[in-house]
Amino acid sequence: MTATFLSFQVASRAMTASQANINVTGNNISNVNTEGYTRQRVDIVSVTTSGAVQQYANPQVSTGIGAEATGTTQIRDAYIDGRYRKQNSEASYYNTMKTSLTSVEDVFDEASKEALSGELSSFTDSLNKLSQTPTSSDIKQVIRSAAQKVTQYINMYANQIEDVRSQQVEDLNVDVSSNFNTYVKNIANLNDEIRKEEIYGNTPNELYDKRNLLIDKLSAVADIKVTNTPETISHDLTINRLSITLNNPTDSGSTPIKIVDNDKYGSLSYADTGDEVNLSVTDTAGVVQNDKNDYFSKGSIKGYLDVINGNGSFATGDESDKRGIPYYKEAMDIFAKKFASVFNNLNNVSTTGETPVALFTGSDGTSTDNITAATIQVSAAWADDPDGIKTTATTSTTTSGKPDNIVKMIKAMSDDQDFKYTPDGSTTESTFFSGNFNECITGTLGNLSTDVSLYENFSDTSDGVLATISTTRDDTSGVSLNEEGVNLTAYQKVYNAAIRYFNILDQNLDTIINTMGV
Amino acid sequence: MRITYKAMTTKYTKNLSSLSTGLNNLNNQVASGRKYSRTSEDVSSAIKGYQIRRSLSKVSTYQDNISHAQDFLTNSESTLSGIEDSLTEATGKTLQGMNASQSSGERKIIATELRTIQDQLLQTLNTTSSDSYIFGGSNTETKPFTVVGGKLLYNGNDVDSLTDGSDALKALKNDTMYVDIGLGVAFKPDGTVDSNSVFNYSFAGISIVGNGTTTIDGVTGPVSNNFYNLLGQIADEFESTDYSDTTADSLYGHLKEVAQKSYQTTTEIGAKENYLDFMTSRYETQDYNLQARQTEVEGVDATAVYIDYKTQSAAYQAALQMGNSVIQQSVFDYMS
Repeated sequence: MTATFLSFQVASRAMTASQANINVTGNNISNVNTEGYTRQRVDIVSVTTSGAVQQYANPQVSTGIGAEATGTTQIRDAYIDGRYRKQNSEASYYNTMKTSLTSVEDVFDEASKEALSGELSSFTDSLNKLSQTPTSSDIKQVIRSAAQKVTQYINMYANQIEDVRSQQVEDLNVDVSSNFNTYVKNIANLNDEIRKEEIYGNTPNELYDKRNLLIDKLSAVADIKVTNTPETISHDLTINRLSITLNNPTDSGSTPIKIVDNDKYGSLSYADTGDEVNLSVTDTAGVVQNDKNDYFSKGSIKGYLDVINGNGSFATGDESDKRGIPYYKEAMDIFAKKFASVFNNLNNVSTTGETPVALFTGSDGTSTDNITAATIQVSAAWADDPDGIKTTATTSTTTSGKPDNIVKMIKAMSDDQDFKYTPDGSTTESTFFSGNFNECITGTLGNLSTDVSLYENFSDTSDGVLATISTTRDDTSGVSLNEEGVNLTAYQKVYNAAIRYFNILDQNLDTIINTMGV
Repeated sequence: MRITYKAMTTKYTKNLSSLSTGLNNLNNQVASGRKYSRTSEDVSSAIKGYQIRRSLSKVSTYQDNISHAQDFLTNSESTLSGIEDSLTEATGKTLQGMNASQSSGERKIIATELRTIQDQLLQTLNTTSSDSYIFGGSNTETKPFTVVGGKLLYNGNDVDSLTDGSDALKALKNDTMYVDIGLGVAFKPDGTVDSNSVFNYSFAGISIVGNGTTTIDGVTGPVSNNFYNLLGQIADEFESTDYSDTTADSLYGHLKEVAQKSYQTTTEIGAKENYLDFMTSRYETQDYNLQARQTEVEGVDATAVYIDYKTQSAAYQAALQMGNSVIQQSVFDYMS
C-alpha cells in the first residue's frame, strides 16, 4: 500500500517536469535566430522506489512514482562539427586566395583599361613615326616621352605590387592578433568556466554554444584539431578536457603544437623580412617555436602566407611554389631588365666617334646593372639630349637619314625574346619566358587571371559543400519552429492532464476523508 | 529530414544573393558593352582580345607608314614633273639654238638661258619637304646635289665618275628611305636591312639625273650622261667660237636620250603608288575584319544580354515573392 500523499508527489513531479519542458521549449523558440545555438531538451527519467528490504518476500503491485527532470542537454553531433570545421578551413583558404589574388590582378588587368601592354604598342607606334623621319628632333622628343611612359608604367606596376603586399601583411596581422590570438584566449577562458560549472554538476549549455562558435571561427583562420580527453574528477564524475592543436601535414613525424589546453593558451606572431613572412607559435607551455609556416595548411592564414610568400616557378629549397606576390614581382623585374638590355644593346652603335649612351638605366640615371621594375627609368643622358637614341648604325654623314637602327628596334618589339634569370644559389641561367614583350605581359596576366578564376571556382564549390554541411548540422541541432510548436501544445496537454490527475486524487482523498463511513 | 527555420532562411538568402549577383553582372555587361570587365572572368577570350588589340595597333601603324610614303611619293611626282617641264624647255631651246639661221650672239643668249635652266634644275633637285631633302636618298640633312668647278656632285661624289656597274653607284642607288609596311622586316647577316622586306619610297637623285660619261661620234672628249653637266656642255658649245653643227646635233640627240630616262622614274613612282593603293585597301579590309573579331571576342550583343537580363529579373522577382510564403509558415500561425 503506497503512502497517501505519495500520489500527490507524483502529480507534483509531473507538473514540474511539464513545466521544465515548457520552459525549455520557450528557450528554444526565443533562440531560433541566435548564432551557434543548439536546441536543448530536458532529460526526463521515470522514478521508482527501490531498495526496500523486508524479512519476508512481499509481492505487491509496485508502480513508478512519476517523472523527474534530471537536466537539460544539447542535441549536437560532434562528428559533424569536425567535418564543418575542416571544410570551413578549406573554404576560408580559397576565399582568401581569391580575394588576395584579385587585388594583385587589379594591378595587371587591362581588360577595361589601358595599361602596360597598350603602352608598349604606343611605344612601337612612336618608333614607327621616328622611322619615317629619323632626323626630326621633335619626333625624337616624342619617342623619348613614349619611352618615359613605358618606364613609368613599369615603375607603377612595381609600386602597386608593393602596396598590395603591405595590404596583405596588414590583413595577416589582423588575422593573427585580432582573430587567432583573441579566439584562442577566449576559448581557454571558456574552458575554465565550463570546467567549474561541470564540477558543480551543471550542464552549461550556453557556454558550450559560445565555445563551439569560437572554435568554428578559429577553424576559418587555421586548420586546427580539437581533442576532448576525459578527466576523472571523482568516482562518479568525469568531465571533458578540451585541447586544440596545430599539425603539420607535410611532415608525418612532426609533433603537434598545443595552442589551447584547458585554461592555458598559446599565441601566434609573425616576422616580416620584406621578402617573406615567418610565423612563430608560442604553445601552451610557453615555448616559442619559430618558422612554423608548415603548421598552417588551410584557413585564411595559409591563404595570406601563400600570397605573401609564394615564389611560383622561382621557388628554391622549401619556399612556397604557389604564384604569389614575390613571383609577380620577380616577373616584372625580369621584364624590366630584358627591356632595358635589349634597347641598350641596340643603341650601342657609335656613328661619329662619340660614346653611345644607354637608353634605360637604374635609379641613378647611369648604371645599367641590376635594373629592376621599380628603378627602371630613361637614362639621364637621354633625358638631357633627345639625340641619344641612335637612328642609324651607318657612319657617313650622307646617310644620316637612314632609319635602319630604328627599324631594328621596331623589329625587337615584335621578335621573340628570351627572358632569362639566374635562380638563387645557381650560376646557370634559366628561361622564364620566350616570346615578345607584349606576350610576356599578357602571358603573366593570363597566369594570374587563370589562378583567380581557379580559386573562384574552388571557393564556390567549397562554399557549396560548407553550406550542405551547415544544413546537415542544422538538421540535428537547429530549432524547428513547427516541432517546438507541437511540443509546446503537447507539454501543455501533459500539464493539463497532470492537473486533472491531481484533481482526481484530491477528490478521492476528499471522498475518503469526508464521505467514507459517515 | 528536419527542416529548421535557420536552414530555410540561410538557403533562401543565399539563393537571393546569387540571383542578384547575376543580375548585377548582366547590368554591367549592358552598360559597358563588354563581355567581361576583368581578365579572370573569361581568361581565354581576354588573351585573344589582347592579341587582337596588338594586331589592330600594328595594322594602324602600317597604314600610317603607308600614308607617309604616299605623301612622299606624291611630292616626288610633282617635283619630277617640274623637272620634266624644265627638260622639255631645255630641249626646245637647244633645238632652237641649233637652227642654222642663228647668229653667234643669239646662240650666246640661248646658252645663257640654258644655264638658267641648269640652275632651276639644281634647285628643284634639292627640293625639301618638311626640312628633309627628298632626292638625297638617306641624306636628308645636307644638299644632295652640289656643283664644284661646274661639275655636278651627288652626295659628294662626282657624278661623271660614277660608272655603270660600279659598287659606288650601286650603293648610292640603293640608298633610299624606307618604312615597314608589314612585309616582315628582315636583316642580312651583315646587319643591314634586307631591302626587299621593307618598302622603299624615296628615289636616290642619282637615278634621276643619270651617271657616268659616254663617247659620241662627232664630239671630242667624254659626254656627260647627266642632264646638268650635259646642259652645261651644250651651253659651252653654243658659246664657243668654233661652234660646230654636228657636235651640237650629237649633243642634242644625247640630251633627248637622257631626258627620256627621267620619265622612267615617273613610271616607277606610278607603279609604287599603285602598289601602295593595293596595300591600303588590304589593310582596310584587315582592320575591318579585326574590329569585327574584336567585337565578337570582347563585346556583347546588346539584344541577347537584354533578354538574359529580363529573364534573370523575372527569376529574381519570383524568388522574392516566394520568400514571403516560405518564411512565414509555421504551426504557430495556426495555433489558437
